[in-house]
Amino acid sequence: MPDIAFVKPALPRSGALVLPLAEEATLAGLAKQADEATGGAISRGLEAAKFKGRKGQATTLWAPGAGLSKVVAIGLGKPADLAETGAEAAGGTMFAAIAQEREAVVAADGLAPALAASMAMGVVLKSYRFDRYRTTEKEEDKPKTERVALAVSDTTKAKAAFAPLQAVADGVFLTRDLVSEPPNVLTPADCAERCKALTKLGVEVEILGPKEMKKLGFGALLGVAQGSAQEARMVVMKWNGAPKAKKGKPLAFIGKGVTFDTGGISIKPAGGMEDMKWDMAGAGTVIGLMAALAGRKAKADVVGLVGLVENMPSANAQRPGDVVTSASGQTIEVINTDAEGRLVLADVIHYCIEKFDPRFMVDLATLTGAIIIALGHEHAGLFSNDDTLASRIEAAGRATGETAWRMPLGEAYDKQIKSDIADMKNVGGRPGGSITAAQFIQRFVQGKPWAHLDIAGTAWSSKDTATTPKGATAYGVRMLDRLVAEHYEG
Amino acid sequence: MIAVRFRRGAPRPEAPCIVALAEGAAPPRALASALAAARFTGAAGQVLDLPGTPRRLVVGLGTAPDAPACERAGAAAVLAAGATEEVALSGAGLGAAQVAALAAGIALGAWSFDTHRTRDVPRRIRRLVVHADDPDAAEAAFAVVAPGIAGCLLARDLVAEPANHLTTRRFAERLEALAAEGIEVTIHGRKWLERHGFGALLAVGGGAADPPRLAVLRWRGALPMLPVAFVGKGMVFDTGGISIKPAAGMEAMRADMAGAAACAGAMLALARRKSPSPAVAVLAIAENATGAASYRPGDVIRTASRRTVEVIDTDAEGRLVLADALHHAIAAFRPRAVVDLATLTGSIVTALGHHRAGIFGSDAALMASAAAAGEAVGEPLWPMPIGETHREVLRSDIADLRQCAPAGSGAWGGRFLPDACHAAAFLREFVGATPWAHLDIAGVDTAEEAHALGPAGPTGFGARLLDRLVALRFETEP
Repeated sequence: MPDIAFVKPALPRSGALVLPLAEEATLAGLAKQADEATGGAISRGLEAAKFKGRKGQATTLWAPGAGLSKVVAIGLGKPADLAETGAEAAGGTMFAAIAQEREAVVAADGLAPALAASMAMGVVLKSYRFDRYRTTEKEEDKPKTERVALAVSDTTKAKAAFAPLQAVADGVFLTRDLVSEPPNVLTPADCAERCKALTKLGVEVEILGPKEMKKLGFGALLGVAQGSAQEARMVVMKWNGAPKAKKGKPLAFIGKGVTFDTGGISIKPAGGMEDMKWDMAGAGTVIGLMAALAGRKAKADVVGLVGLVENMPSANAQRPGDVVTSASGQTIEVINTDAEGRLVLADVIHYCIEKFDPRFMVDLATLTGAIIIALGHEHAGLFSNDDTLASRIEAAGRATGETAWRMPLGEAYDKQIKSDIADMKNVGGRPGGSITAAQFIQRFVQGKPWAHLDIAGTAWSSKDTATTPKGATAYGVRMLDRLVAEHYEG
Repeated sequence: MIAVRFRRGAPRPEAPCIVALAEGAAPPRALASALAAARFTGAAGQVLDLPGTPRRLVVGLGTAPDAPACERAGAAAVLAAGATEEVALSGAGLGAAQVAALAAGIALGAWSFDTHRTRDVPRRIRRLVVHADDPDAAEAAFAVVAPGIAGCLLARDLVAEPANHLTTRRFAERLEALAAEGIEVTIHGRKWLERHGFGALLAVGGGAADPPRLAVLRWRGALPMLPVAFVGKGMVFDTGGISIKPAAGMEAMRADMAGAAACAGAMLALARRKSPSPAVAVLAIAENATGAASYRPGDVIRTASRRTVEVIDTDAEGRLVLADALHHAIAAFRPRAVVDLATLTGSIVTALGHHRAGIFGSDAALMASAAAAGEAVGEPLWPMPIGETHREVLRSDIADLRQCAPAGSGAWGGRFLPDACHAAAFLREFVGATPWAHLDIAGVDTAEEAHALGPAGPTGFGARLLDRLVALRFETEP
């Protein structure tokens, strides 16, 4: 990612200058200086290009004079409407326009320091690339930006506002890396190994292998893993950030980490199966979230748990019809081996409750195709037994642009997973498919405050958005970081 | 509907008698030992059949014996009663509203449809005799809820009718019969539709031997106000057209007019209870047949609103006929609010299953009232979103809009599309600024097994909900 600097307003002698401009605004501050230095070339150019400052509008003026290679004007929309997500989106648009410049100065002197920091966050978020496996890319196709300097009126305040955002961006990038990695590289063991890097940030990391999990009675999780040559792992990450006087039950985040999901014996159709490398996005999000919280030294005690398995068809694979015993003692009839995520979560959630007795649990999982049929890609599905927790999550989602839509739970849906032979079966049919999956998980939460985010539609984007290049979105990292920051620190 | 009479005194010994008990309530002394032996606690849904003279059917009301609980208990009891022509209800110790709700539940649960049986027709319940402490009060309370029941059962009767019997013409005739209830009925035929440019309804109905119809039902009410409008999808049969459906389960498509049937049922309810609120129902009636004159994927049609639509999938026909009907409802009647009901998408079934219908819309207050009305009558809704991306996929290369996203264009190898959201985004384009709610009832129009308020078959979902919505929201001047 490019270096972000906050500097006093001064005209650069060369390179790119970016002017974030609200609708119908007149040039002021640094922008006005630049216009004067170029003999009015900027105002004339913007008028000729019919630049009005509308949201998302971007206009480039090449070599307007005063040594500048280009001036990029970015529309911010109506000044009254400009908030965090709008400033981020402008930052993202800006990055796309300056990607070929080594350095750029942004005339953010007209913005409040917090909005300037959000704009910088947008620049950083949009700069993400996953190019580890490109060996022949031409030099001219690579982005060049090394440093973006935002000229602000109060550098101290802007820096202070940006510091925690930088930590969150690091967490987002970690998640995007994990989710983007191909499944032959990111195996359960490899993913667990990567979690160890979090110790540098002060996170305690504990890794459990098949032997330990067997001892704990993880029949559901291990049943999923048994068909794969790759061993299963569970990673427990602890961040103890609460001040001594405010110790209490920790917050818990739990992620589904199926590093590749073939569906197992209930094998998936071939079309689109490559997407199943991101069936560990729930785990990836929890890992990135822990990095974000530790990176910004969140004043809260938080545990992150991820269940990591690979779901493969093989001679040893679990069969439809098998009955497994979960760590909770409840038995499960496996009807469809491709409904494996809930099996993994069942054991990890049970362990989390027994070990940590958390204040609440939020689990994230790319759980069902049905949630895409229900909601598409704009919202994750949110299921919860706790209205306060759910509304806090919804609000944090709106604030960060990672929105969740509440979906129903209820006894009538729970009946769909009754089994003839075991305590429950792992699928409840097509009708309400995401709801019955959530009902399944709810049977393991022992009535504790809990929310489940079905992120199958939001973990991956098939096209670029304002702040996310296409690919892994790291949906959930920023939302849940905000949830913790708003309600559970201090 | 079964005949319901109200009396004082003890039930006759010949007819089975329904006795309702709240959880934890002291049972009648004569029943106490039997109930204890059978571990009957009065939990909601519990039914105990006690043979004797009279035979008694004891039903649990649960811990909160409100109207919905009483309705469910009445239905559960009568579903357990089996073949008998008359049942009694003992209202001893119950309030008038509870007795009325139990009777309503019994009437809903006793519904049957034997029109097309010619032999071995089961004995059906025809009469209910209610024995109440205050029969006049109970009768008055029942008179308030009976119109909604009548509306619901009309909707069930219409939905149950097979497509060769309920053709577009027959459907229109059935609606014309509502004139006897004080409802003004206008049926617009093909020529009128052509003259007024209802290109979407004409295209969808074009492949069938029976022509499409636009039915308009008006209830004038008493308040000097613009009406509330209901818009219903009335596909008497849906083969899918050229984008023909798979054979398995296609017989269920006779119920693809359940939205229109629910609207008609609601109008009957309003008329029967003389609602002060003016109301209008605009029902788009057609058969989506596979024929030589069928419309095709790729066709561009001009809707009544003059807007053009590119057809992608002829089996997404409901949103097309609704576009014309919504336009007419709004342009002709300038309603205070418009609510449309449609068995619209399979997607909503995947999303919410068979226990809730999806509600989409542009007006939070209207949607909240509709949801409250649904809870009150046992027809629950769940709010669903219309997002920016749901609108974006409706951009067409050739017309103002395309009707849906092409099959195979979704996530994970193309299999997953949020079609219910796309359909709602499409409908919104034809609504403008009028407060609007859209109910996708594809998952709740028909029950495969006996349900809380009736036997297996059509549920009549929506008729009572709309009637209650009007009562909650539109019977006072704003």
